[in-house]
Amino acid sequence: MVNPTEFIDEAVESISEQIGDDNAIIALSGGVDSSVAATLAYRAVGDQLTPVYVDTGLMRKGETEQIRETFSFMDSLQIVDARERFLDALEGVTDPEEKRKVIGEQFIREFEREAKETDAKQLVQGTIYPDRIESEGNIKSHHNVGGLPDVVDFEGIVEPVRDLYKDEVREVARELDLEEIISERMPFPGPGLAVRIIGEVTPEKVEVARESCHVVEEELEEYEPWQAFAAVIGKATGVKGDNRVHGWVVAVRSVESRDGMTARAQEIDWDTLQRIQSRITGENDNVARVVYDVTHKPPATIEYE
Amino acid sequence: MTRIAVIDNHGQFTHLEQRALRDIGVDADLVDNDVDPEEVEADGFVLSGGPDMDRAGRSAEYLDRDVPVLGICLGMQLIAKELGGSVGGGEYGGYADVTVEITDDDDPLIGSLAPETRVWASHADEVKDLPDGFSRTGTSDVCGIEAMSNTDRDLYGVQWHPEVIHTERGEEVFENFRDICEGSS
Repeated sequence: MVNPTEFIDEAVESISEQIGDDNAIIALSGGVDSSVAATLAYRAVGDQLTPVYVDTGLMRKGETEQIRETFSFMDSLQIVDARERFLDALEGVTDPEEKRKVIGEQFIREFEREAKETDAKQLVQGTIYPDRIESEGNIKSHHNVGGLPDVVDFEGIVEPVRDLYKDEVREVARELDLEEIISERMPFPGPGLAVRIIGEVTPEKVEVARESCHVVEEELEEYEPWQAFAAVIGKATGVKGDNRVHGWVVAVRSVESRDGMTARAQEIDWDTLQRIQSRITGENDNVARVVYDVTHKPPATIEYE
Repeated sequence: MTRIAVIDNHGQFTHLEQRALRDIGVDADLVDNDVDPEEVEADGFVLSGGPDMDRAGRSAEYLDRDVPVLGICLGMQLIAKELGGSVGGGEYGGYADVTVEITDDDDPLIGSLAPETRVWASHADEVKDLPDGFSRTGTSDVCGIEAMSNTDRDLYGVQWHPEVIHTERGEEVFENFRDICEGSS
């Protein structure tokens, strides 16, 4: 296990050296990894670093407001409203890898613009160890590993947490006095709610996924899951108020893990599952049923796509 | 410090094997499986899991190095295949939660886990026949040979993944292997 205090001192020093007098940019997603990378880099070079947060419209409920507040200590923080551009780009895309690609490319367009405006020569990324392993093993592509450097001609790429596991990043986050809500926050995938929607990403499905994820996170907090979320996985028949509905099927998933490499589906009591079901079907007219995913990793992955 | 090299057969969990060894105070290197084995010095070797026997590179050559070897998942299958045993598809894939019955309480690698232990597995193939000189040390409902040992040559295999957090006493397997490596050096 990494020693957080030593790690921070060494990371800040090494980032200062790597960035020098250049301007740098980082994509801040609000997850632990990029939050830690950004905070370390901001400590090292201050406003030479421009942290860019892109609101893709695929974020969790209240996420953008929370980011604005948590990182208000960074004067150079840029919040980009790209919600419409992402949804337009995703129209008609159903293949999971294609979806990740479209999102990755749109990210790149957004950052390319910001990078040019700030004249950034150095790219800071929150890549962690498992991102690199999964990308090398071709299980899934991770948007923060490839892409951007091919388009923008950065002079250097700085990855302060590239050798750490998620639990180690959290230790560092705690030591950095990042609010508990960040350091204890559940992992959230880069492509956001898009990978919690099987098939085409539409505004309607995004809304269902966002509201359902919110319910699940609230209701399962006491189980202290590594990750708990809801995904919109298809359509099925239901009956609501004497009317037949052909509505969305929402899958609820809650897993415990140390590092995300393996995961165990959590045993949730029946009353809690029923309350989740009742809130999701009750608050969303277009949801016909709610199911609970009992599959561990392996054989399943944690996220659906 | 005891030195154990982890030979990377492109498994998802290879890095966790290195980490598990590091966490118990072993000097653990991660080595590509196409490196010349003669250039790798260690008190013991771990042959990692991986997706495909055809991508196991020069892993088999470590069996001739006269130091203890622990094969994990595909690494165990490789030992079996290389030394005259056989490997084939299981009737039932072994994924996630499996209870392994320890069939040899005196085995230096997993005997301390007796009578049974909860492990995390991920495999479609399995060892069907043991090579000469090996004995079965563990079994389960989903896989006949969950572990095997040849204590004369200090060659060991486990079909599950002691390196992942969900394997209950995985660290103990690495501690036992470290002890084996220290005993023979």
